[in-house]
Amino acid sequence: MRLHLPCPHCGADVVFRSPALPNRVCDACHTMLVRSDDGVAQLGIAAALPFDVSPVRIGMRGTADGGGFEVIGRVRWSWSDGAWNEWLLLFDDASTAWLGEAMGQFMLLREHPFSEVRSKTLRAIAKGEPAQIGHKVELFGRKLVLADAREALCITAEGELPFTAPSGWRVYNVDLRGSDGECASLQRDGSTVSFYHGRYVTLADLAPRGLRAIEGWSLPGYAG
Amino acid sequence: MQAEAPLSPPPAPAIRALACPNCGGTVELRAAGYTVHVGCQYCGSILDATDGLVKLVTQAQTALAYPEIPLGTRGTLFDVEWEAIGYLQRSQNGAYRWDEYLLFNPYHGYRWLVNARGGWSFGTMLTRVPTMQTFSTYALDGQSYTRFFRGDAQVDRVVGEFYWRVTVGETVKTGDWVRPGFMLSREANDREISWTINQWLPERDVVAAFGVTPAARVWPPLPHQPSPWGAWLGKGAKIGGIALAFLLLVSLLLSGTRWLASEALPVAVDGREQSATIGPVHLVSRWQRVRVRTTVPRLENGWVDLDYSLVDRRNQQVYAASGAAERYEGVDSDGPWTEGSRDSDVSIAGVPAGDYDLIVEYKGNRWSQNDTAYPDGGWMEPTNAPQIVVELGTGTLYAGNFLLALLLIAFPWFVGLMLHLRFEKARKEQSDFAPAASGDGDD
Repeated sequence: MRLHLPCPHCGADVVFRSPALPNRVCDACHTMLVRSDDGVAQLGIAAALPFDVSPVRIGMRGTADGGGFEVIGRVRWSWSDGAWNEWLLLFDDASTAWLGEAMGQFMLLREHPFSEVRSKTLRAIAKGEPAQIGHKVELFGRKLVLADAREALCITAEGELPFTAPSGWRVYNVDLRGSDGECASLQRDGSTVSFYHGRYVTLADLAPRGLRAIEGWSLPGYAG
Repeated sequence: MQAEAPLSPPPAPAIRALACPNCGGTVELRAAGYTVHVGCQYCGSILDATDGLVKLVTQAQTALAYPEIPLGTRGTLFDVEWEAIGYLQRSQNGAYRWDEYLLFNPYHGYRWLVNARGGWSFGTMLTRVPTMQTFSTYALDGQSYTRFFRGDAQVDRVVGEFYWRVTVGETVKTGDWVRPGFMLSREANDREISWTINQWLPERDVVAAFGVTPAARVWPPLPHQPSPWGAWLGKGAKIGGIALAFLLLVSLLLSGTRWLASEALPVAVDGREQSATIGPVHLVSRWQRVRVRTTVPRLENGWVDLDYSLVDRRNQQVYAASGAAERYEGVDSDGPWTEGSRDSDVSIAGVPAGDYDLIVEYKGNRWSQNDTAYPDGGWMEPTNAPQIVVELGTGTLYAGNFLLALLLIAFPWFVGLMLHLRFEKARKEQSDFAPAASGDGDD
C-alpha cells in the first residue's frame, strides 16, 4: 500500500510504496527515513550525490522479464578502483530487482535467499574467507567464475530502499560471471549475506521511458 | 496529490570542469560518475577523479601525447554519436605502437576506436565469455575465430579520462583471434580477464566520423582486415557462373544450323573439274556464319576436291572456302580398316545479309583405276551414278564465341583471385602462429 507522510525533518510529502521498502531518502532535504509501526524515524542526512552522467534516473520506467518496472531508489558505491550505481526497480507485481550500472554496462539482478546457494566456495566466502579470483563455482547447475572481489563503501543513496544505506557503510562484495552474460553478486556485511543473481542487459533491452536527458546528447533511438 | 517525479526535469549538464592539482589547467570530465582516472591534457599528470574528488596520482609524464583525434571530438559510427574522451598510446614492449581512443555516449556506454598501422577497428567490451573450440580457435555467437597474435601490451602515454585506474607502463597479457572483419581480443592481468570484439572499419567511415587524415594503404593488411577481393570473388563467381550458364544455354538453343538449300550434283566419271551454281540463297541476319556441307554417298577409296565461292549478287563480293571429302578402306593383318569420311563440312564466318549464289567447283578422284576390291568397279563407275550432295545453311553462334566469353568473364576473376591470395598471404604472414617458413611481407 502506498503511504504518503510528511517528512519529519522538512515537512515535504514523502511516499512509501511498500512495507517491504521501509527506507527512504527525502527528495527535498535528503534526510534518511525509516518507516515502522511507531512512525517515521530519522537517521541523519544522506550525503549529496556526486555529479554524474548516468542515463538512468528515479522515475524511469521500462520492462524486463515480461513485466513493467519503475526506478524508485539508488545506492552509490565506491571501491579503490572506482564507483558504481545500484538502481532499485519496483515491478508491477510488487517484486524488486537491482539494476547495477558500472563502466557503462548494466546488470539486472534479483535477490535470492542464500540458503538456495549450495556452492562450497560461496558458503566459505559467506563465513568470512576471502574470495579467490578466477575460481569456478557451480551455481544453479551452471558454471560461473569469481570475477572480482572487493571492499565496497557506500557513498550515498536516494529514493526508496529495502535497507538503510548510510554513507561510509562497508560491505565485502564478490562478483561472479558466466559465459553467456549470466552474472551474480554476493554481499557480506559482518555475518549478514545477501545474494543476487541475474544477467547483463543493455539499456535498450529494457525499453526505457523517461531516461534522463543529458545536455548536448540526443536521446537514443531505443528510448520510448 | 503531487507528482512523485517531475516528468521532464531540465537536462543534466554533460561536462564537469576540474582544476588539475599539478598545473591548474582546466580538465573537462565528460563521463562523470564513471571516470576513475584522468590524464591532464596540459601537463600529463594522472588524476583520480572518482566522484569529483580530484587527487594527483602521478605527476607529469615525461612526454605529452597529442592524439590525432582531439579529445571532445564527436563522430557518428554505426548510427550512434560517440565522443572521444580518452586516448592511450600502447605498444608491445615499446615496439609495434598503436593508438586507442575511448569513445563514450551516456546512453550507449563505452567503445574503443583503435588505430594500428593506419587501419581502424571499433571495439566493444564483451559481457559474455567466448568458448574455446580447439587449441587454436575460439567461438562466439556461432562464429569461429582463429588465433593470430599473443604477447604483452603496455601503456606508453595517456590523455583524457578512463573508467579504471590507468597507469603508464601497466602491462597486460594479450591474445587475439580473428575471422574476416573481426578480431576477438583477450587482455589478462593478475586480477581479471576481459574480452573485446573489434570490428574492422573502412577508413572512409572514420574519416567521415572524426575527420582523420587518410593514411597510406595498410600493408601488410590488419589481421582481421577482410580481403577487398573476397566478397567480389564470391559475387563474381556467382554472377559469372550465371552468365556462362546463360550463354551456354543461348548458344545451344541458337547454334543449330538452319538449312537453306540442298542440291545433288553428278560427278563426271572421267575425273574432270566441274562447276555448279546453287542459288539464289537469301541471308537475313545482319551477319551470319554460312555452313556448307557436302556429302558423297558412295565415296570409296577416293576423294573429292571442293572449292566454294559464295558470291553476293549485289556487289559480286566473294567469300571463298575449300574442303575435301576423302575415304579409304582396306584389309590388313589387323583386319578391315577405314580412314577419312564421306563428307566435308566448312564454314564461312561473318557473311552480311543479302542474296547469294554458291558456286561449287568439284572434282572426283579415285585411288586406283583398277580396284579389284569392288566387284562393281568402285564409286566412280558410270553405272554407280556418282554424285555429291551440297547443302548450304546458316548458323548463329560458334562454340568459339562461347569460349571467348568464358575467357572474358573468367580473366578478371582470376586476376581478382590472385590479388586475393596475395592479400591473404601477406595478412597471415603477420601472425605469431604463421608457418615458420614465412619471411617478411613482400612490400
